[in-house]
Amino acid sequence: MLSRIADSLFWIGRYMERADNTARILDVNYHMLLEQPPDTYRLRWDPLVLITSEAPLFYPKYGEASAKTVFEFLGFDEANPSSILQCIMRTRENARTIRDRISREMWEDINSLYHKVIKLRDADGLTYFCDVVKRGGHRFHGVCEATMPRDDGWHFLMAGSAIERAEMTARILDVNYHRLLEGPPILNEARSHAWMAVLKSVAAFEFYKRQYTQIEPQKVAELMLLDSRHPRSVRYNIGQLQNSLLAISGSVPGTYANEAERLTGRLHERLTYDRIEEIFDRGLHNSLTELQQTCQEIGEQITRTYFYYAVAS
Amino acid sequence: MSSAPTLSPAPDPGSSTLFQNYDPAPFFDELVAPDGQPRPCAKPMYEKLAEMPLEVYEERRKLADLSYLVQGITFTVYSDGRGTERLFPFDLVPRIIARSEWETIERGLAQRVTALNLYLQDIYGPQRILQDKVIPRQLVYSCKHFRREMAGLHVPKDIYVHISGIDLVRDSKSGEYLVLEDNVRSPSGISYVIENRLVMRRTFPRAFETSEVLPVDHYPAELVKILRSLSPRTGERPVIVLLTPGLYNSAYFEHCFLAQEMGIELVEGRDLVVSDNVVYMKTIRGLNRVDVIYRRVDDDFLDPLAFRTDSLVGVPGLMNAYRAGNVALANAVGTGVADDKAIYAFVPKFIKYYLGEDPILHNVETFLCSKPNELSYVLEHLPELVVKAVGESGGYGMLMGPMSDKKTIEEFREKLIADPRNYIAQPIVPLSRCPSFDPSKGGMSPRHVDLRPYCLYDGEKTTIVPGGLTRVALQPGSMVVNSSQGGGSKDTWVLRGDE
Repeated sequence: MLSRIADSLFWIGRYMERADNTARILDVNYHMLLEQPPDTYRLRWDPLVLITSEAPLFYPKYGEASAKTVFEFLGFDEANPSSILQCIMRTRENARTIRDRISREMWEDINSLYHKVIKLRDADGLTYFCDVVKRGGHRFHGVCEATMPRDDGWHFLMAGSAIERAEMTARILDVNYHRLLEGPPILNEARSHAWMAVLKSVAAFEFYKRQYTQIEPQKVAELMLLDSRHPRSVRYNIGQLQNSLLAISGSVPGTYANEAERLTGRLHERLTYDRIEEIFDRGLHNSLTELQQTCQEIGEQITRTYFYYAVAS
Repeated sequence: MSSAPTLSPAPDPGSSTLFQNYDPAPFFDELVAPDGQPRPCAKPMYEKLAEMPLEVYEERRKLADLSYLVQGITFTVYSDGRGTERLFPFDLVPRIIARSEWETIERGLAQRVTALNLYLQDIYGPQRILQDKVIPRQLVYSCKHFRREMAGLHVPKDIYVHISGIDLVRDSKSGEYLVLEDNVRSPSGISYVIENRLVMRRTFPRAFETSEVLPVDHYPAELVKILRSLSPRTGERPVIVLLTPGLYNSAYFEHCFLAQEMGIELVEGRDLVVSDNVVYMKTIRGLNRVDVIYRRVDDDFLDPLAFRTDSLVGVPGLMNAYRAGNVALANAVGTGVADDKAIYAFVPKFIKYYLGEDPILHNVETFLCSKPNELSYVLEHLPELVVKAVGESGGYGMLMGPMSDKKTIEEFREKLIADPRNYIAQPIVPLSRCPSFDPSKGGMSPRHVDLRPYCLYDGEKTTIVPGGLTRVALQPGSMVVNSSQGGGSKDTWVLRGDE
């Protein structure tokens, strides 16, 4: 497989996941806010800007974080490389450059999503917009699952998807954790409400309720970080990433062929054997920061190993 | 499309006629005879359309458009800053060619492609034709696309033009098909032929039951067979790639389409590297040798070390690898010396010279401005003629005399006097027409069409997919079929029998 194609597939996986997660966060926040007293509005929208690490871009341009400004910024802003529209456009650009290597169904699906989303640009419905994007994300995975051969390309796509999802879940947890525990005091029932919103944004609310009776921040963190079964938990996705990397290199489980595999393997071990209490003792924020740094490093190592040719032609 | 479209129930016959007030005169009409009755080959389709209510037709038209949009068969307009995508207009009324007529076209094209290859072999080889003074040496050497670098270079199986698209028009006066232009560098459009058919089959599935239409979708398989045969490494499974200039090329959709259909890698210049005169592609598992390149990059941009140094889409060192015989290119470098519009005028002579045959398909009468007496005729008759720059294609650098104002004509007059070698002139051929949907009328109106069949040459025989790309000038009265000028395309049917 051409390095350029592997690179594109990896990023298609990442961008689709980023668009999907951003839509989830927007939507959940919007609904949560509908039931809040008006004076807490502002507090609700700032974390969303922080999640995307694009705060330096947002505040000079929009000033205050409100439903309207954050929706515009995360939904459509051309200057924001992580906005949903930009992610979908990049997914499509990447898909277009490798059209010959992806299934017709996959291309048509990505292309249709793009046309649908671009039409909603000037409409006013945040919920409907997010719904289209989330459904788009589900359809995308379905179409890929049903039409892509399980070759290297598939594994690169899955690797991109897994690493992005792990990072997004970690970020959602990190930013909200601060907001909710260390921020200005808010009502207790509102606090549990907010945690429910966080769980819903990663589609884990029902799953949580089945295992735990009450909403407790530490338990929420445990599920989002360490659960082995939920498809949006960090551990699950790092495990998926490891599987994809091993499939690409052909390494036997328990060994590694490159730095990306070593870092992924080590991270997965930590997430498997660490207890949530230990993580809290070390400081959740520090652990999550470290985790995000490791993910970034893994991404760089994948690029170095598979996509990048240092020798000039 | 992901879900099967639902069509309206069968139309109620007699309630409406899309062909109301349809008048083929005064041009030759491909589907309708001068008496207003459908030609025998077009009868089943004509009747189907004639009894179709406007709403049903409109619905199917929308369905077809949607199918192109979903597949991304669009070109991008950047003027509004958001990159709006437009469809290449597709007209649902097929152009239908009777079998017997097609067979003549087919023989004529095969003859022409063979002669063009022999000419190229000769020009970059012994140059007998120049010694015999069949064509002036100066005219050949002064072609914009003549490549001195190719002289004496052996190309695999002595084939220069593997893939060609020969533009034909039907002269309304004689009813005869004429060759308007040869395209032997990297002609595009074949993907539209295949996609148009696909869309037609989805839109009018029933029509294919009543008319036996010859298939076109074997083109990629035929092409890859030829490409495979060119590999310099025998015994090994050849690695074939399609080299594209990239995403922003207007034919990018086609490059993807063909690579996918042929099951070969689609590469850009940056994916390839030449080392010790061998071409490799950069893969996730290291460098992988490349044997055959179907290149859709022009000569000029192919190798910055050999041609234009500012090319960003080429592969440095590719010409050396080609020269060393380590990689095959299709088409060969330098084929533009055969489709220069001044050379075109000599192709009937090539056929006679190399094959000892009379041309089956004739040229449009052509005046070479490089000849003083012909130039003076052209200058006297500019308002009646079409003037074309010899090295251009796609409707660029053209003057349509009868449709141009005085000022434009005078500007061209100066250009012609300043650089006569660069121009040819032809009388305006009254192109035949074909019924096409006219939104302003809500029914069919005749529109001018041309035809570009695609020919594949393997060194012995020429394979031509039945039909080709019919381009249609959708503007009333217009004879310019280029997409940039409001042209569209049609599916082209060659029937198994004559009726």
